Amino acid sequence: MTQITVTVNGTSQTHEVEPRQLLVYYLRDKLGLTGTHIGCDTSSCGACTVHMDGMAVKSCSILAVQADGCEITTIEGLAQGDQLHPVQEGFKECHGLQCGFCTPGMIMATVDMLQNNPDPTEEDIRHALEGNICRCTGYHNIVRSVQWAAEKMKTSAKVLDGASVSPSPVYASVNLNQQQQQQL
Amino acid sequence: MELQGSHVLNAPPEQVWEMLMDTDVLARIVPGISRLEKTGDNEYKALAEIKMGPVSGSFSGGLTLSDIRENEGYTIHVKQSSKIGNADATIRIDLTPVGPDQTQLTFDGGAKLSGLLARTGNRVLSGVANTLTKQFFENFEKELKTPKEA
Amino acid sequence: MSNKYIGQSVKRLEDKRFITGKGRYTDDIKLPGMTYASFVRSPYAHARVNRIDTSAAKDMPGVVAIFTGDDIASAGIVGVPTGWQVNFRNGDTMKEPPHPLLVPTGSTVKHIGDPVAVIIADSREAAFDASEAVEVDWEELPAVVSAYKATQEGAPQVHPDAPGNLAFDWEIGNPIDEVNEAIEQSAHVTTLEFVNQRLVPNAIEPRAYIGHYDEVSDKYTLYTSTQNPHLIRLLMCAFVLGIPEHKVRVLGPDVGGGFGSKIYHYTEEALVTWASKQIRRPIKWTETRSEAFMLDAHGRDHITKAEMGFDAEGNIKALRIKTYANLGAYLSTFAPAVPTYLHGTLLQGLYTTPKIHLDLYGVFTHTVAVDAYRGAGRPEATYLLERMLDLAALEMGKNPVQLRKQNFIPSFDGVEQPGYQTQVALQYDSGNYHGVLDRAVEMLGYDEFRQMQQEANQNGKLLGVGFSTYIEACGIAPSAVVGALGARAGLYESAQVRVQPTGKVSVFTGAHSHGQGHVTTFAQVVADKLGIAMEDIDIIHGDSDAVAFGMGTYGSRSLAVGGSAIVKSIDKVLEKGAKIAAHKLECSVDDLEYAEGKWTVKGTDKSISFGDVALTAYVPHVYPQGLEPGLDFSSFYDPANFTYPFGCHIAIVEVDKETGRVKLKRFIAVDDVGNVINPMIVDGQIHGGLAQGIGQALLEEAIYDENGQLTNGSYMDYAMPRADDLPSFELDRQVTPCPHNPLGVKGAGEAGCIGSTPAVVNAVIDALWSGGHKVKDIRMPLTSERVWRAMQEQNTQILHS
Repeated sequence: MTQITVTVNGTSQTHEVEPRQLLVYYLRDKLGLTGTHIGCDTSSCGACTVHMDGMAVKSCSILAVQADGCEITTIEGLAQGDQLHPVQEGFKECHGLQCGFCTPGMIMATVDMLQNNPDPTEEDIRHALEGNICRCTGYHNIVRSVQWAAEKMKTSAKVLDGASVSPSPVYASVNLNQQQQQQL
Repeated sequence: MELQGSHVLNAPPEQVWEMLMDTDVLARIVPGISRLEKTGDNEYKALAEIKMGPVSGSFSGGLTLSDIRENEGYTIHVKQSSKIGNADATIRIDLTPVGPDQTQLTFDGGAKLSGLLARTGNRVLSGVANTLTKQFFENFEKELKTPKEA
Repeated sequence: MSNKYIGQSVKRLEDKRFITGKGRYTDDIKLPGMTYASFVRSPYAHARVNRIDTSAAKDMPGVVAIFTGDDIASAGIVGVPTGWQVNFRNGDTMKEPPHPLLVPTGSTVKHIGDPVAVIIADSREAAFDASEAVEVDWEELPAVVSAYKATQEGAPQVHPDAPGNLAFDWEIGNPIDEVNEAIEQSAHVTTLEFVNQRLVPNAIEPRAYIGHYDEVSDKYTLYTSTQNPHLIRLLMCAFVLGIPEHKVRVLGPDVGGGFGSKIYHYTEEALVTWASKQIRRPIKWTETRSEAFMLDAHGRDHITKAEMGFDAEGNIKALRIKTYANLGAYLSTFAPAVPTYLHGTLLQGLYTTPKIHLDLYGVFTHTVAVDAYRGAGRPEATYLLERMLDLAALEMGKNPVQLRKQNFIPSFDGVEQPGYQTQVALQYDSGNYHGVLDRAVEMLGYDEFRQMQQEANQNGKLLGVGFSTYIEACGIAPSAVVGALGARAGLYESAQVRVQPTGKVSVFTGAHSHGQGHVTTFAQVVADKLGIAMEDIDIIHGDSDAVAFGMGTYGSRSLAVGGSAIVKSIDKVLEKGAKIAAHKLECSVDDLEYAEGKWTVKGTDKSISFGDVALTAYVPHVYPQGLEPGLDFSSFYDPANFTYPFGCHIAIVEVDKETGRVKLKRFIAVDDVGNVINPMIVDGQIHGGLAQGIGQALLEEAIYDENGQLTNGSYMDYAMPRADDLPSFELDRQVTPCPHNPLGVKGAGEAGCIGSTPAVVNAVIDALWSGGHKVKDIRMPLTSERVWRAMQEQNTQILHS
């Protein structure tokens, strides 16, 4: 057993861990942070993506002991209290998730991407997220979610007083057409 | 998976043959083999450690020689099992003299894989097989250069 | 009834927990004293289990118990059943060999991953380590993986009592003589032999189960990543373990996608449930991705020869098909129904084909079970028909749009005009097939595209367009109909609407959401029907103790069947509420109208709110005589017919002449799924389906080698569609309401997956023809290599001719 000290979502934690324990199991089993998911055993799906010292990593390909002295942010630590991160908001606004299983990893990967590229094209987004597999959405609305978040982060940065401005909605409320009205 | 290769060694067939029949030598030159014990006539017990891309494991099993043609070659049958899957290979080895002090060693055969080895290793297997083949011949040459009972 | 929510893209109520990491999937659950299971699985596709030695494993640290197939057999447990019986055409009973939870010694394992022992230990790692210490003496036997080869003389036998590896043979349609005659008399016959390849569903959450026997209450609890908790309870209790149903609670918490693969009752569910009583501790098993590839039921896997006869004008006169459907080693829960009643019955498509015959063989092989995967049977039928149509158009030099239109069934609403009776048993409910095709072609710009295609060709590029017009049968299913067809269960749905004394409403549904957004969509329906706010409604699902009964979610049925059950219960609530309201307002029920959450005496301003009536129902001081207190109703809804969504999908591809690489440039989908409650969610369902259908066309295939080894059982080896493989989709919708359910909805879950595959393949074939490569078929997935080879072979043929 090896002792490690890791700052997870702003709280310093010290634990004895087995040298073979992966970071993802440490987060899930030891800390109960089950928002980070395990979707494969070949570090291919990205469901376990977290931030280590500000960078997105697949926590299934990092040993817990490697995280010693590092700062880890998981999906549970992304929102500031009740204030969701713009990327979290974007996924909700644009229906960027269905079953929700890949979502935490997808969001963490997106946050990292937007730090490096605040104004991505659709191609940039698709390329940056190709390490995260989603089986539900066909990625269409994930791309919209990321675009929405990018727009919001740019706008927010511009508004000096911090007032939040939302990008135009992708899914505006749609009215029933005549045929539906009759049937119902 | 197909296993094929050929290489010219700087030794006459008799010397190559002798080495191929010597368990200690084989254990040294066959990549991954950590132990080789004779268990009967032309039967051996082998332990191996092999890493193939994402898949690595300890193998144990038997090795049988048949169709033994002195100084010309034999057929080797390897059956190895491990927790990540099993391998079952039959390889024919032929020695052909090339000039006075050289021998061409040719092998031709195939391996049947199962379990995790087949499931996640297949994609990288031909590359691994090539690497192992290269290592085998390199080791062989090194062994040829090593003075005996030094 | 108000129209505040229905038809609106209401943002999903369930999203908050998922985007903040608070979802609760089975593997997230930790019970006190919980143990972990790990299985010893066969590395061979077919082998006799001569001996299992667990002695070394037993003494390893942390090991709590080890069970083998012999232990299970001596407990009298035979195995898991199938839920559908399809008999041989001569009347002989379907072959249904047992599917044991663990294969006992002396018996044979029948696919890689077939388990022979389970280790239960204090930790996941201890269980895994010990499973590696179990020694098994395997005697490897020859295996067969192709459905066609398995039926041939001398093929290895999967089950001794299923000669020729046949589970059943089956036919549907017109008498074969009539179809043969019509084919012979045809002016043109398009013939295609093809493989609809095997796919792995690949929900991103691997399956996970926790079995927990509680001694105090003498009750079992099973947490399971399932699409249908009640169905699992029914199968497990009645057919596998023989334990009383009322002593078993099955919970399906958040489930990370299913796509069919989580419908079935798997052996591990029964095993952890049974074993938890043996060891008196909870047991968790979470599958690895590697196990998921080996064990989760696969989809498709048909080998088919199809012939379509046309008259000189291009009217379809006949369709003759022979198909070998791979069922895998064991019959999974829905397996026999998929190639038969979900495939054979859809071969009419959208066309007026007068003579159809399907000759089908359901075949055992040494592979994992094949069962319903998104679309289930209907994608196979659609692929067949739509590939034939586009190929026929190319062969006859006709416009593929015109060829479809001249063969389409004319529009019918199913109300004024009757439903359409097909040659293959079904009666379509309502349809306007020209509408979706016209709209999609308009979005494409047909003439402009053909112009572009010619120009591209001159510039050394190959562009192609592919069409697909599909119909599916969903809203599964009328119980009497499926019962007559061999289903061993009814396929109705239940719903309970419990109005709380404060007027808040709890709705219990037997449907199960694993990404479909029921919590939102169902609440929209309830809110509008009752005229109350969505916040005042809670949708409860996935708990067999809370919900009376349920058949679960698959076959695009949740809203059409489950939603209709909710509407039935709401109608009962409003009927009783009106009696209470009338009493309070001192009028007759007939004088009342209900709108915006209150009953009003017609023509007056006298009214009483829904909340006040609810309170009165529970505090019945001033109350109609003889009326029971309370406001809580259950209903079961059994649909009158399937629902029949349809649509048109168009793909545009560019094929690289040098490498054969296919780039999907545009994808247009115009779907008619009946009325739409939440357009955003429906779009999302279509998007996801399209990605899976396109994945089949271009990327995905489960590949077994001739020894029955799955050679691409990981995400490094099996090509899942990734974000940069796909374009943004161009969607539009047409609405033809379903005439036979109260919401007029048809179902949207599978549509995208059913229509899209042939559109993509047709587009590639069209691109190749435009470049002079008259290729009839390329085996899916259309990898660069296969497309390149197809072009080269065609070149060779031209050179030699």
